[in-house]
Amino acid sequence: MDWEQLDLNPRIIGAVKKANFRTAKEILCVSGPDLQRLTRLSKTDVQRLHCAVAAAVRKSKLVTALQLIRGECPVLEAGHRLSFACPILDGLMRGGLPLRGITELAGESAAGKTQFCLQLCLSVQYPQENGGLNSGAVYICTEDSFPIKRLRQLIAQQPQLRPDLPPALIRSLRFSDNIYIEHAADLEALQACVSQRVPVLLKRGLVRLLVVDSVAALFRSEFQADEAIERSRHLLAFSNTLHRLSHEYGAPVVCVNQVTDVVDGPNPGRCDYGLVGSKVLPALGIAWANQVMVRLMLRRLAGQVQSASRSSAPRKLEVVFAPHLPRASCLCGVWEEGVRGIPDDHSDLQPQGSS
Amino acid sequence: MHRTVPSLPLAPSVKVKLINAGFQVASDLTDMRPLQLCKEAGISQEEAVEVLQMLRDDGQPHQQRAATESLTALDLLHQEQALGSIVTFCSALDDTLGGGVSMGKTTEICGAPGVGKTQLCMQLAVDVQIPVCFGGLGGKALYIDTEGSFLVQRVADMAEAVVQHCTLLAEDTEQKQALEELTVEKILSNLFLVRCHDYVELLAEVYLLPDFLSKHPEVRLIVIDSIAFPFRHDFEDLSQRTRLLNGLAQQLIQLATQHSIAVVLTNQMTTRVSNGQSKLVPALGESWGHAATQRLILRWEGLRRLASLYKSPSQMEATVQYQITVQGFRDASDEHRPTPDTSAVSSQLGNHSKRPRTEDLS
Repeated sequence: MDWEQLDLNPRIIGAVKKANFRTAKEILCVSGPDLQRLTRLSKTDVQRLHCAVAAAVRKSKLVTALQLIRGECPVLEAGHRLSFACPILDGLMRGGLPLRGITELAGESAAGKTQFCLQLCLSVQYPQENGGLNSGAVYICTEDSFPIKRLRQLIAQQPQLRPDLPPALIRSLRFSDNIYIEHAADLEALQACVSQRVPVLLKRGLVRLLVVDSVAALFRSEFQADEAIERSRHLLAFSNTLHRLSHEYGAPVVCVNQVTDVVDGPNPGRCDYGLVGSKVLPALGIAWANQVMVRLMLRRLAGQVQSASRSSAPRKLEVVFAPHLPRASCLCGVWEEGVRGIPDDHSDLQPQGSS
Repeated sequence: MHRTVPSLPLAPSVKVKLINAGFQVASDLTDMRPLQLCKEAGISQEEAVEVLQMLRDDGQPHQQRAATESLTALDLLHQEQALGSIVTFCSALDDTLGGGVSMGKTTEICGAPGVGKTQLCMQLAVDVQIPVCFGGLGGKALYIDTEGSFLVQRVADMAEAVVQHCTLLAEDTEQKQALEELTVEKILSNLFLVRCHDYVELLAEVYLLPDFLSKHPEVRLIVIDSIAFPFRHDFEDLSQRTRLLNGLAQQLIQLATQHSIAVVLTNQMTTRVSNGQSKLVPALGESWGHAATQRLILRWEGLRRLASLYKSPSQMEATVQYQITVQGFRDASDEHRPTPDTSAVSSQLGNHSKRPRTEDLS
């Protein structure tokens, strides 16, 4: 920190240098009386010093909410979202995924979470006016290997999924070139990937979507039941990295999470987010839930839904919590071209027996 | 004045030299000239000028301050009642809080993710702007967002609902006139937003608040959402975290009382395991529990959302139900009256509640 650039009496600057303070953080983390003792300055001098250093750290100007909603501050509020490529799903999410913050998609196995993620990886590549971000995606696999055959199938069927877009546009996009696939076998590899390789891609503008499939797998396998504090620490460090990247580059982060069974009744020591009667809850506990901005749950229901002579098991996508969304859900099916919301209200569908 | 030299806001080395030279009280210094002081005390000319400048500056107001410094409790009561409070639009919660979130105090809102902390904060940031003729404060708000969960779409919805609510209530001409100015754009333009990405930025922001408040005296509410988020990771030294949090709490309480504003902080919940049982308790440790003047805990009970007032110097502990609608933070449709905590209920809810007042001490 260059002390000379602060608007202070040279005597104060001299005292700061003599006391060996190097960064603004050191000055701000020391209280007034301690700073007086270390620099031998008076109380008013120390107050002026704190204010000058704080002003140097907070360079951004003050904005009002009106400026945000008018789109005058793209850094804080982009004004658009990442579309799901389906109008019903976008309607549930009021436009799509927010560009800053961690969105979690939790559900049992075979619920369709990976299908959602693949669809988002394709949707992000469209231009902004078509609901995308004009950029690629990074897909970090921690469980199974990347479903490359399914991705190829989805790419081939894009014109069927997006009939509203001109086919020339779809043909012009080289989808598989813009999806970067990483495999992380353990926590170290995951942390290295997220803190070293992903920022390079983000900085170059090559990607603007980060998918972690799944976040639960490594954290649940590498820690024993009694190492909860250790696991919390690693989880917080990991989510902090994701959070920072998301806010710095305006890139949505989608984390796939597993679920745990609820064996006892309501437990005051465990938060169930108002999901009464649900036999499963998202995994990783409240430490992870505190880091998530939007939590979605995907449930597979019994029965079949039909669409143009094809059938699929219906899924229920539910918004558990989000700062801008009400508690709502919608039905969707997984078809050859991807995930599509189902407009009718099939109230007779029940969750599958085991869920 | 009878201020002693050690109590003056000077550098310690200067004070030592003055005391060694025989100056014990401030009045000894007031008649000195800089050169004289310089020779007698052995301090530099610049330091002598500063000492005399400082004495001259606070000589006058200090005498006036001493005369008015003592207030009677009746004066204080009148002052507090005149301050008003910010409604939350949940009448049950407002009754529990004694009218709403009080001015001049720090209020902490704790709760699990998704229970409604950010919603309540956004609601308060809109409600503080309700014009005085409608029973509000007509002030502005500063929202310090550390998590990035401030989505302006939602605030616009809440502002729209408040404008509609006031439109329905408007009766006399004064209210109708105030209503003409009360638009969604006006409400959004009176809401200042600051985003802090880590705890250093948050500390810096709080140091800049006194300046901000003197430049914007109409600001009556400061929201920090949340104060837990930047302090819960990468802190190897927990004692440093406690020190920084205590310092922050002190600064915020000082701001709240000096400028008569309401400061609202949001905290997260964490699990604490004791005797093989796990409970959800507010995060940031035990000592943080003493930081805020009032503490509100939001939690789920089945499908219901409950708000409990856990700590307040003036109000009774109580639990009420609320809900989050499209319009914002509102009363639950069925239950309107707050229920005082019975000892059975509070013992279920964990260590962070006070011991029930009906407990037998024998």
